[in-house]
Amino acid sequence: MTDALIGQRVPKLDAPSKAAGKTIYGHDVRLPSMLHGRILYSRYAHAKIIRMDTSRAEKLRGVKCVLTPKDNPPHRFGYGKDNKPFKDIARSLRDEIAGVVATDADIAEEALSLIEVDYELLPNIFSPREALSEGALLIHPEHKSNLFQRYNYSHGDLAQGESESAVVVEEKFLLPYVSHVCMETSVVVAQFDHRDHLTLWSTTQIPFLLQRDLSEALGIPGSNVRIIQTAVGGAFGRGLDIYPYEPIAALMSRKTGQPVRVAFSREEEFLAGPARQPAEVTVRAGAKADGTLTFRDASCMLDIGAYVSWGTVTPLVMMETTASLYQVPHARFTADCVYTNNLITGAMRGYGNPQSTFFIETLMDRLAEALKMDPVNFRIMNANVPNSETPQGLVITSCGLKECLEAVAASADSARMNVYPERSRRNEGGRLVLSEVEGMTVTANIKPSPFNLQPPHIKRGIGFASTLNVGGGARIYRSDGCGATVKVDDFGHVTLVTGSTEIGQGSETALAQIVAQTLGVKIENITVLNSDTDIKPWDVGVHASRTTFIAGNAAYLAAVDARNQIFETAAQLLGVGVDQLSASAGQVTVRDEAGKSISLEQVARRRHFKEGGKVILGEGWYDPPTQLVDKDTYKGNISAAYGFGAQMAEVEVDIETGKVRVLRLACANDVGHAINPMAVEGQIEGGAQMGLGYALTEELIVKDGKVLNPDLLDYRLFTSADMPIIETRIIETDDPGGPFGAKGVGEMGGTPTAAAIANAIYDAVGVRMTQLPMTPERVLAALDEKEKRARV
Amino acid sequence: MNSFDHFTPATLTEALSILAERNGNASIIAGGTDLLLRVKNHIVKPAAVLNVKRVPELRALSFDSNEGLRVGALTTLRDLTRSPLIRDCYPVLASAAGLMASEQIRSLATLGGNLCNASPSADLAPPLIALDAVACLVSLSSERQIPLAEFFTGPGRSVLQKGELLKEIIVPPPQGKTAYLKHSPRAFMDIAIVGAAVRIQQQGGKCQQARIVLGAVAPTPLRVRSGEESLEGQTLTSEVIRQAAKISAESCSPISDVRSAAWYRKRMVEVLVRRGIEATL
Repeated sequence: MTDALIGQRVPKLDAPSKAAGKTIYGHDVRLPSMLHGRILYSRYAHAKIIRMDTSRAEKLRGVKCVLTPKDNPPHRFGYGKDNKPFKDIARSLRDEIAGVVATDADIAEEALSLIEVDYELLPNIFSPREALSEGALLIHPEHKSNLFQRYNYSHGDLAQGESESAVVVEEKFLLPYVSHVCMETSVVVAQFDHRDHLTLWSTTQIPFLLQRDLSEALGIPGSNVRIIQTAVGGAFGRGLDIYPYEPIAALMSRKTGQPVRVAFSREEEFLAGPARQPAEVTVRAGAKADGTLTFRDASCMLDIGAYVSWGTVTPLVMMETTASLYQVPHARFTADCVYTNNLITGAMRGYGNPQSTFFIETLMDRLAEALKMDPVNFRIMNANVPNSETPQGLVITSCGLKECLEAVAASADSARMNVYPERSRRNEGGRLVLSEVEGMTVTANIKPSPFNLQPPHIKRGIGFASTLNVGGGARIYRSDGCGATVKVDDFGHVTLVTGSTEIGQGSETALAQIVAQTLGVKIENITVLNSDTDIKPWDVGVHASRTTFIAGNAAYLAAVDARNQIFETAAQLLGVGVDQLSASAGQVTVRDEAGKSISLEQVARRRHFKEGGKVILGEGWYDPPTQLVDKDTYKGNISAAYGFGAQMAEVEVDIETGKVRVLRLACANDVGHAINPMAVEGQIEGGAQMGLGYALTEELIVKDGKVLNPDLLDYRLFTSADMPIIETRIIETDDPGGPFGAKGVGEMGGTPTAAAIANAIYDAVGVRMTQLPMTPERVLAALDEKEKRARV
Repeated sequence: MNSFDHFTPATLTEALSILAERNGNASIIAGGTDLLLRVKNHIVKPAAVLNVKRVPELRALSFDSNEGLRVGALTTLRDLTRSPLIRDCYPVLASAAGLMASEQIRSLATLGGNLCNASPSADLAPPLIALDAVACLVSLSSERQIPLAEFFTGPGRSVLQKGELLKEIIVPPPQGKTAYLKHSPRAFMDIAIVGAAVRIQQQGGKCQQARIVLGAVAPTPLRVRSGEESLEGQTLTSEVIRQAAKISAESCSPISDVRSAAWYRKRMVEVLVRRGIEATL
């Protein structure tokens, strides 16, 4: 098949309607007689509700009803089965204790202030260490310990690794709370119909798991729950769990008999939404004198907050980076996930990987420095290689890590010109030739660097970091599958119904390209339906950068099935064998017989409109050949393919203010094969934006369980004005298991960014930043510390 | 949002009459970029909102080489960044306004709002004070002028009396060079951790008059007279400049909050004052 649809830069199919403001998001859903619900959160981080008087709230004009813990169904829900819609014991400041339904949201809000609550205060536990100390009050007494889970992984022999090391480095890291900050805040509309069936309009990423979760939370059969996904205004992992507001909206609808909408304010989104887990990490690593890695040992303490979510599984990914990014003969990883009275935490893009890549790649830089080796060469010599298996059991098929590093090293050559002009710049007749970089000559028409004009307080540096990410699904549920159907109608129009979800990542477009390519039709002839659990086949959800690989394979299988049906009929009509046929440009043509063809729509009609006619309906189910990790050793091949990437950051540090400006971020990613290079670039650039924020500006500042900066002024996202030049390089390795060779890329864009920037800061000013974000204040404090040490 | 009375006067007299009738108990709205947020967040619950956007007397923008600049309270930040008059005669005001918020907000937010809101970090206050600006306040019965340096009395508070409006700001003809430097973690769309305005007028190689005004390090914009005095009459060597910067840092006692620790703010005062003086040379 030589049509160029695969690999073509196809603008996202959903983009025009979004750009024109015509897309229907969750916040746009309005149903007849719809009511509005608001939630009352606890005033204290840990307290028993001993009295609640809702009578004044109920009397307010426009209020339909007030819900309290008495309205809870008897079941618990959530990943750890530790949550209820309304709490009679609040375990954090975001605990829902009551809800009001009213004819508009302002009335509901006003009614919340009329609910009288008496609390009995309980001791607060805001630090995981305190939570684990002996005799600490149990946050969930039924759980018997505040330690929800301990991950304990190892391979090889750490002592042997250490004894073989010529250099050993160790560092402590502090990682902050950060928020997804989706443009669209959390929103849900719930409606019970006359059959007592629930329909939920939702921004979830896991419609089928949510169906199950809701049926458990509400005590109704899963077959009575239908999830309709609206266009999603950002998810980034936020939609990976059930949250109390969802069953609350359902309870509100059931109690009033009317549809109820619950929509978060921006402040509520920061306070009550899930955050990325803060962590304290200690890491050691070693290498031989020749640069070969010997061992890694990381131990993490994660504050998971008052309730468990799928975010508690993120150590699995942190473990993967520790054990398998580069070739590591001996490794150990431990992580404690600890209950506290802090914010709830959840899954967020990268799922532990931005955290672990920050600490692992910082240590890689320290090792290279200790060995006096070039940081890129050191990484390349230890890089993962194709067709190998890591000691952890990851089966690496395609692998372009070395190529990614080489690509960003080439970008670094032009950056070096800015950083060390005296070393690498030579002007030859207006063209700049960079000749000092070993084995490489890069020419570029670049204006002479203004480096010499830089004031002395500005220092420049460059830094590198790599990433390893699952790229062929991730089996963290018993199935990692996805179903798809492909229908061809009698106009030759093709409808793909896929279990997977479009959350802005461009999957709709990539899947349409795969189906269009397989059936030989134009992309305009494809409609993708992916938003209704009553219509679409099962899928585990959008996570782990799995959609292109998993849903892509499912769509491909369904398209092949449909094509077989088309060929079966076409072969009869044309009087040739099925194996002589091919499909392109909306036609089924006979190979080697010019002019002998029949249009797709004609085939469809001829197949339909006859006695014993048949529908052209292909189906595909793809579940990758992977394993759940062993529950004791955590070993196993969790993904059918692995994606790789590397980044180079060029920064400027103001040594008087500590302010870091990123001038350029070069990103190279091994994506197997880019189905849609434009969408791949979009994912990498978007990921980089999140990575830059994680590195430099974003932090939910939490004190005594309370968020001190729940707004977009003091929670600082990187804006377009702050963005550096992003260079993206797509490295293609054609994975044998991926659809048309593709692997996932969704999460990788921001994973190595913080590490690359931290390493660049070190290159510029000689301080190791071990706490994120690397704010001007922290950088200046580190510079002060360095100066103090130099004076001693 | 609760309901409130809304007035849209067409003249200054009408506006002041309404204000007088309400005994000053009306929230003034122009751009609305501060007030609406506070209403939405239930920080204020106004009984009445007085929309002054249609009052022509608040729209002055003129320059006279003797009298200086008259700039009306309704002048938007965008006007300040774009006006050729401002850009030519008081470039520091154009650049300070350009550092604020976003293009969208700058086209709504006004000079009067930025000053009357009296945030300690208001970006227009330090450069205007450094330029010896005067605030012109009007009420139904009187009109008075006070130096802008005396306008602010605390966070969110000013000398404005009940029934009074800020009509315009008068800025004397420019003397010497003025610079405003703002330190914030992000390049744009951010609030000042520290702001520092410096005006230096030199004659015969010596500093004749100096102004150092700081933002975001005290309850009100802070004029550092001791720092100014250390410069006046001196040849501005790097040692003299460093000394003035140091004095400025020592004379303020900023708070620690989510935006910055106090020690860091003091350090930034020192850096910004030094760089500000250097920028005027």
